[in-house]
Amino acid sequence: MRYYVKIYRLFLSQYIKSLMQSKLNFFVGMFGSLFVQASGIVFLYLVFEQIPLLNGWSVEELIFIYGFSQIPKALDHLFADYIWLLSSRMITNGEFDRYLLRPVPAFFQLMCDRFQLDAIGELLVGVALVVLSVNNGTVQITFAGSILFIISILAGFLIFMSVKLFFASLAFWLTNSAPILQLGYEISNFTKYPVSIYPKPIQFVSSFIVPFAFASFYPASYFIRDMSLWTTIAAEVVISCIAWIIARSVFVKGMSVYNSVGN
Amino acid sequence: MKDSILNFNKKIKDLFIYTPFIKSVLKDNLAYKGTFYLYILCKILCVFITYYLWKAIFLSSNNASLGGFTKIEMVTYIFMSFVCSNIVFISMTTKIGNDVMDGTISINLIKPISYKLKLLSESFGEMIYKLIFPSLFIWVGVEFYKMYHMETYRFLLSNTLLFLLSSFLGFIIYFLFEFCFGMLAFYSTYVWGMEIIKNSILTFLTGQLIPLTFFPDTIQKIFDYLPFASMNYVPVMIYLGKINRSKIIFLIGKQMLWILLLEIFSYILWKKITKRISILGG
Repeated sequence: MRYYVKIYRLFLSQYIKSLMQSKLNFFVGMFGSLFVQASGIVFLYLVFEQIPLLNGWSVEELIFIYGFSQIPKALDHLFADYIWLLSSRMITNGEFDRYLLRPVPAFFQLMCDRFQLDAIGELLVGVALVVLSVNNGTVQITFAGSILFIISILAGFLIFMSVKLFFASLAFWLTNSAPILQLGYEISNFTKYPVSIYPKPIQFVSSFIVPFAFASFYPASYFIRDMSLWTTIAAEVVISCIAWIIARSVFVKGMSVYNSVGN
Repeated sequence: MKDSILNFNKKIKDLFIYTPFIKSVLKDNLAYKGTFYLYILCKILCVFITYYLWKAIFLSSNNASLGGFTKIEMVTYIFMSFVCSNIVFISMTTKIGNDVMDGTISINLIKPISYKLKLLSESFGEMIYKLIFPSLFIWVGVEFYKMYHMETYRFLLSNTLLFLLSSFLGFIIYFLFEFCFGMLAFYSTYVWGMEIIKNSILTFLTGQLIPLTFFPDTIQKIFDYLPFASMNYVPVMIYLGKINRSKIIFLIGKQMLWILLLEIFSYILWKKITKRISILGG
């Protein structure tokens, strides 16, 4: 374990060095992800100028759901961004060969390869919105609540990573699965809002096929409404584990059928 | 007199030099069909998120109209906005960025063709493709929706033609804006990040996210002095028939004025920047 931490630190320090070369890029990336999130918030505020409640939810509650769902997404963006490249070019240009030659698990190397600081923008928005919700009393802080909060954030992170890894691993068979990954990932945009506004098929897909709703809406609703723990956070943890096992085994299976392009 | 006609003919002929660029983009899109369709599917998913959101918003509202829109008008707005955005927002920033980074742009500079016109023909090719797919399909869907839900359905040819004209002007405005924006690639290599910032700001200012009437009055006044409403909001409002005739003529005139201003600006910018390259010896 210490060995892995050390390797990760080495990669990280290399990354920070390269980052220092162009600080402008860092700010461009950070503001980019910050603006995207801000536009969603402004949309909510403009709409709530016109109506008191949306499907029974107040603007404060929606803001919390929105902010909450950004945190696992940002963590995934921060740590597992390189999975995108597995789907788009690693197989086609043979970059994946490199991973197989080193005495460290391929998935770990995939995580090491990029530390995407752009995600800081998203993370800031997410945390700020959650803090705002605590301040205006939408959610109460309790000791048990904070523990559950951390657990559900981590499980949400695992769900995001698993979905990405699953779709990206299809690249082992298809050579390029980026468009499919993009399509699957798009569903995470549905679950920033209460899923009850969507028709049943979309609810089902976003809960059980591509389970992003369990990384955002369901656990968030536990904190604002008296929802049962079992149908929200406990279910989230179970689903995240199942998703991870499936994604992981598809990744391993994919590696076994991997043919190098031969460079 | 005869001379000037000949000259004009020659100029038109010169423009045909650029047709291969239009064709090549069309062929490109046809070759990578799978990727293209999935990409479009992604965008359609996005539109449906907005659709369901608005549906829920109207269900939760006591008023029949919000921000001056009835539910049917809002649904039409969302989908026609999608149709229009496919025609108008043909992004060239990434392409310019790549050309700058791998140096292709220097080859373009020594060829006896205009880089700007080359880009314009390429985005024109893509626009034609997107006009047919997915725009036309969604559009037909919108007409059916209106036929089904409106009490008095009429297909207004004049509004349709004005919508197409206004969208086309929007396409040129966006292209010129994009050309100027793409010049930033000469200063920063992180084009992807800039593209994201640009897109998230534009979804607001062009009315793609929400009709501009939802904004507070003072902000709407500021929007009047920016070119962005002309790209998406104006054509869609024309289609919806929410603008009267004299105002339409004024707004289309305004679009043309923006084209002129941006054309002058991009011309000066391009001159300045190409000078900069030659100093660097690229």
